[in-house]
Amino acid sequence: MDELLTATGEPRPVAAALMELIESQGVAALIERQQAAELDILTMGITFTVYSDGENIDRAWPFDIIPRVIPGQEWDRISRGLSQRLVALNRFIDDIYNDQRVIADGVFPAELLDASANFRPQCRGVRPKHGVWAHISGTDLVRDDDGVMYVLEDNLRVPSGVSYVIENRAVTKRAFSELFKQQQIRPVDGYTDELQRLLISLAPDGVMAPQIAVLTPGVFNSAYFEHSFLAQRMGAELVEGVDLVVGDDDCVYMKTIAGLERVHVIYRRIDDLFLDPEAFRPDSALGVAGLMRAWKAGNVGMANAPGAGVADDKVVYAWVPDLIRYYLGEEPLLPNVPTYRTMYDDERRFVIDNIGDLVVKPANESGGYGIVIGNRATRDQLDEAIAAIDADPRNWVAQPILSLSTVPTLVASPDTPNGRAIEPRHVDLRPFVLTGATSYVTPGGLTRVALPEGSLVVNSSQGGGSKDTWIVDGSFIGIGSNGGF
Amino acid sequence: MALLARVADRLYWAARYVERAEDTARIVRAFHELVVDFPGDVMLRWEPLAAIAGSDAVLVANADDVAGETTVMEHLIADRANPGSIVGCVALARENLRTTREVIPREAWQVVNSLSHFVDSTAHEAVWRQGRDRFLARVVDESRRLDGVLDSTMTRANSYRMFRLGRLIERADMTTRVLGVRAAALLQLQSFGVETIGEEVQWMGVLRSLSALQMYQRATRGPIEGEAVVRFLLFDAAFPRSVQGCLEEIRGVLAGLPSAHDVISVLNATEAIVSDCHPITSDGVELDTAMDRLQDAIAALDRAIHDRYLAAW
Repeated sequence: MDELLTATGEPRPVAAALMELIESQGVAALIERQQAAELDILTMGITFTVYSDGENIDRAWPFDIIPRVIPGQEWDRISRGLSQRLVALNRFIDDIYNDQRVIADGVFPAELLDASANFRPQCRGVRPKHGVWAHISGTDLVRDDDGVMYVLEDNLRVPSGVSYVIENRAVTKRAFSELFKQQQIRPVDGYTDELQRLLISLAPDGVMAPQIAVLTPGVFNSAYFEHSFLAQRMGAELVEGVDLVVGDDDCVYMKTIAGLERVHVIYRRIDDLFLDPEAFRPDSALGVAGLMRAWKAGNVGMANAPGAGVADDKVVYAWVPDLIRYYLGEEPLLPNVPTYRTMYDDERRFVIDNIGDLVVKPANESGGYGIVIGNRATRDQLDEAIAAIDADPRNWVAQPILSLSTVPTLVASPDTPNGRAIEPRHVDLRPFVLTGATSYVTPGGLTRVALPEGSLVVNSSQGGGSKDTWIVDGSFIGIGSNGGF
Repeated sequence: MALLARVADRLYWAARYVERAEDTARIVRAFHELVVDFPGDVMLRWEPLAAIAGSDAVLVANADDVAGETTVMEHLIADRANPGSIVGCVALARENLRTTREVIPREAWQVVNSLSHFVDSTAHEAVWRQGRDRFLARVVDESRRLDGVLDSTMTRANSYRMFRLGRLIERADMTTRVLGVRAAALLQLQSFGVETIGEEVQWMGVLRSLSALQMYQRATRGPIEGEAVVRFLLFDAAFPRSVQGCLEEIRGVLAGLPSAHDVISVLNATEAIVSDCHPITSDGVELDTAMDRLQDAIAALDRAIHDRYLAAW
């Protein structure tokens, strides 16, 4: 299904103004707007870093000018579902590192924890502020043919993309300024302010104006642009591991030209294992020795908390609906994609027998790596996947192949007079959720689009593009499972 | 506002590279002016220019590049492998600012980012005389625009001070190098036996390359002659590109930075060397030696800044 058009090709009510403008002006005018937007991206220096030919290259951010549009009413429901999900996931993480009631009560199998690559025994017994571990999450949503928005995965470690949500909007505002006059499109700029409030709330007790630092692996990291962007927007310091030191007093300091200055809250964008060579990988040059000590002593707030990733592996995912019921006594507002757990014999047999109709995913990879799509893989690739599942059943899950929804997209089309044409391309959606004393969900999120025809791979590291996402308020008929089609 | 030593280092170098790109553009324009005034028999060679602009490279012009012009222009303007070329300086300035965006105004980053896109796409045209002046003028203008943006929108904190230091050190150094260009021309002309031809025209070119002609004339109210020009460019502290002017501004910047005593004592020594300097301008060798000495003194000041503020990480 298409997000903007009905099955008969008519614009959905929520997208009527946009589609009318595009149709009345024609492809050539749209191409001009696209080119102006690309020039903006170049001059504003909106980039991402790709590793290619042994070099890290700073590339212009890929952006398609036609936005994805969602009615406000539908979004409110999704937004409530996301808040609910993150509250439950945080209760789970806090429980896992403390009392483990969920295991004692037989809701979550203990053996999963023992085998988890993201469980950090070093975090046992820590009680972070608000009981929250995953303060910032980027939850991937997809819409299937049935019109239902499903949660595809939870990213609770160092999810990226939110800077592009904000920059895409800045670019789109210029490109379609007339539409922003005609309708109520929810602004997205507030995110960094909300993030700053959240980070301030993590400061050690009694600190009135905390020094916040964004900890980046460095300029060659693929998300460096975002680390820099967030520091800019929050007035925070952007630090690398070499800039920080933990003193004998278990406090964190940064090396300034006037000497050492205290840091109170760290928004870290480095994976757990590289965070502190004292506690995790001793060979890590990215981290800061003693950081875990300082955090456990309550001398520095850290988001996301080390160990938060225990709840975002793709096997734990299958339990999330149960976790929501267990911790909150509520039914999940947002459905999971049905998920087969190969650690159970019957489910594994089903997966192996039907592998051609399933997507097989490794539990602990991100960025789309290691995924095998049954109906697109060769027999050899499928056999390899089966062998990998047999070798380590705990590390795999399988799901039905969803047909992701599409959005009209301006793509290369060499045979047409303009060289480009508007064609449907598959999209997903990554909203960002902040969880602290309260919850905040970005209005919309990052819409990623797979640019080759028929492709389902939306990752920018693998040639995906992006779109602005509009949450539009007004009296539209909602789309989604409530029968708006 | 705190300033990380690592960030201070990048800001300082970003400023030096932007200023170096600007000043290399100025030097090339200055030399270009000299060259076009001596067509025909007296042909100035371009190779000394590369050395003056701080390059150690040994350039070998091919046979049809009679005066070494395109070889040297390629090296100083468009050669990506030469970090001292305009393209190289702008790329390094951009990279240093890209990695300190959290402390500089967004518009400032955009100036350097656009400049970088401009030089990347246009530098090869400037190797030839036709497109050269327009290219060089744009490099100078964008560098001035950056200062304008920072002047009007950046808080006077340590980050701003580090950027100013980088600008001023590089600028003082480059003013001595522009005078060095003049010395090199003098030496070549002496070997032709024609050093006195059009003397004031040549000095006018030097002043113009530093945007100093009009201010020189208002300050001296006299004719354009070598000794007065050198005196103006070294000692007239009221002129912002003079060596003394740069050093005094550096003193003002250091006053705002934490624990600057060690750097200030090196600055005192540098100023003493400058005021000690009385080159006799009709003699190219002496002017050349004097400028070398000043460059060493400025390098010592750079080291002191580095040791005090930038090496901490």
